[in-house]
Amino acid sequence: MNYQKSHIITYVLGVILLDSIIIASRTADLGAQIKSGEIVHFLIRPVSLFKFLLARDIADKILNLLFAFVEILVILEVFKFSVDLPKDLFLILIFMVHVVISFFLYFLISLILSISAFWTDEIWATRFLFGVILLNFFSGVIFPIDILPAWLLRIIYLTPFPYLVFSPLKIWLGQVPNQYILKSLLVSFFWLIFFWWVTNYLWKRGLKGYGAYGG
Amino acid sequence: MEDDAKLKIKNEKLKIKGVLKLIRVWLMVSSRAAQSQLLTNWAGVLFLLGKVIRFLLFFLFLFVILGKNNSLVGYTREQVILFFLEFNLIDITTQFFFRGVYVFRPLVVSGNFDLDLLRPLPSFFRPIFGWTDVLDLITLIPLWIYFIWFIIFHNLIFNSMDVILFFFFLLNSLIVAFSLHLFVCSICLLTTEIDHMIMVYRDLTNMARFPTEIYQKGIQFILTFPIPIIILITVPAKALMGLLSWQMAGFSFLIGIIFLKWSFKFWQYSLKRYSSASS
Repeated sequence: MNYQKSHIITYVLGVILLDSIIIASRTADLGAQIKSGEIVHFLIRPVSLFKFLLARDIADKILNLLFAFVEILVILEVFKFSVDLPKDLFLILIFMVHVVISFFLYFLISLILSISAFWTDEIWATRFLFGVILLNFFSGVIFPIDILPAWLLRIIYLTPFPYLVFSPLKIWLGQVPNQYILKSLLVSFFWLIFFWWVTNYLWKRGLKGYGAYGG
Repeated sequence: MEDDAKLKIKNEKLKIKGVLKLIRVWLMVSSRAAQSQLLTNWAGVLFLLGKVIRFLLFFLFLFVILGKNNSLVGYTREQVILFFLEFNLIDITTQFFFRGVYVFRPLVVSGNFDLDLLRPLPSFFRPIFGWTDVLDLITLIPLWIYFIWFIIFHNLIFNSMDVILFFFFLLNSLIVAFSLHLFVCSICLLTTEIDHMIMVYRDLTNMARFPTEIYQKGIQFILTFPIPIIILITVPAKALMGLLSWQMAGFSFLIGIIFLKWSFKFWQYSLKRYSSASS
C-alpha cells in the first residue's frame, strides 16, 4: 500500500483520536480491584458493575475526546498540515458505526484481561503482552499494518486487533473497497458477540469461586 | 602544604568509599527485587515475551521501510539498524538502572518517602534506584551480544578511538538520562504527578528509534537543546560510526554536565518545598 504524506498525517492524527475514544479505558482498574477485594463494594450495590464501568468509560472518553481535539488542532495549526477527509457522508457514517463497534469491542477485551485476575496474579503481565504490545502493533497504533508482509497480515487479521483502529482509519482514508468495509463490520460484530459471551461466562465463573478477605 | 594534600587524599578516599557503599546497597536492593520478580515465573515469562515481540516487530518494521530504498536520510541499511539497536541498548539500560522512578509516586502520596529521607543514603537514591527490573538485564545481555556481533560483522567500526568515544558518550547518555529522571522526580515532589511526565519522556526518546535527521530542523533543535534526546541516543551511535563532529562531541559533553548540575539543583529546590502528603 502506498501512503502519500497527507495519508500518513491523517493516519497519525486519526490514531490520536481513536486511541482516546477506543483504547484509553479505565476497565484496567478492575483487575487490581478484584485482587485487593475492593470489588465487593461494587458487588453489594444495586447497580450492574458492567453498566457502571461502561458509564464511567464513556464519561472518561468524552473528556479524552476533548483533549484529543485540542491536541490535533494545535498540531494542525503549528505544522500547517492538511488532512484527508472521506469522499462522501456515507463513509463518515460507516466510520462512526465502526468506531462504536470498536469501542465496545475494546471495552470487552479489556474487561476480559481484568477478569483474568480471578485466577492469576499476573494481571499486569498479561495486559502488557496482550493489551499493550500485541494490541499496539496489530491494531495499527504504531504504524499502518498493511505495510507488513502479506503472510503476517493474514495472521494479524485472524485476531480482533486490526478492527479496533486500523480498519476504521482505512475506511476514513477511503483506501479500501466496499467488500472490505462490509467484511470488517461483520467480523468486528462477530468478535463483539464472541467477547460478550466470553466476558459473561468468565465473570460468572470467576465470581463463583471468589473470596475477598479483610475490611 | 603536605597536610592539605593528605586531607585531599583522605577526602577522595572517603568519596570513593561512599560510592562503593552506594553500589553495595544498590546491588542488595536489585537482588531483593530480582528475587521478588522471579517468584512469579509466569509474569516474568509474559513480560519477557512482550519485550522480545516488541523488539522483533520494530525490527521487521525497519526492514519494511528499508526494503525498497536500502537507505534512509543518507544512512545505509546497516547504519539505520545500528541506530535502532543502540536506541534499544540505551533505552533498556536506563530503564534497568532508573526503574525506581516508576514506583516513586506511591511513596510521595503515602508520605512514606519521609522514612527514606531519614536513611543514611542520598535523598535521590530511593526515587531513582529504588527498584530494578531483572527482566531488563535478561534482555540486555543478548542485545549486547547481537550489537557487538552486528558492528563487527558489518565492519561498522573504523578505529579504536571511535569505540572509546562510544563508551564515553554512552556514559554521558546515562548521566543525561539520570538528570532527566531526577527532573521528573523533582516535579513529582512538587506536584505528586509523575506517570504522565515519564510517559512524555518515553515518547520523546522513542523519536530517536530511527536517525533523527528524518525530522524537520526545528524538531531536531528541540530534541538537541531543551530536551536532549539526540545527545541521549543519537550521539553515541554517531561516535561509534565516526560520524560525530568535534563541535557536537564537545557540546554533548557540556550538556551532560549542565543537565546533571541543574537536575541536582532542582531536586534540592523541590526537597525544600516537599511536605509529607499524608502526615
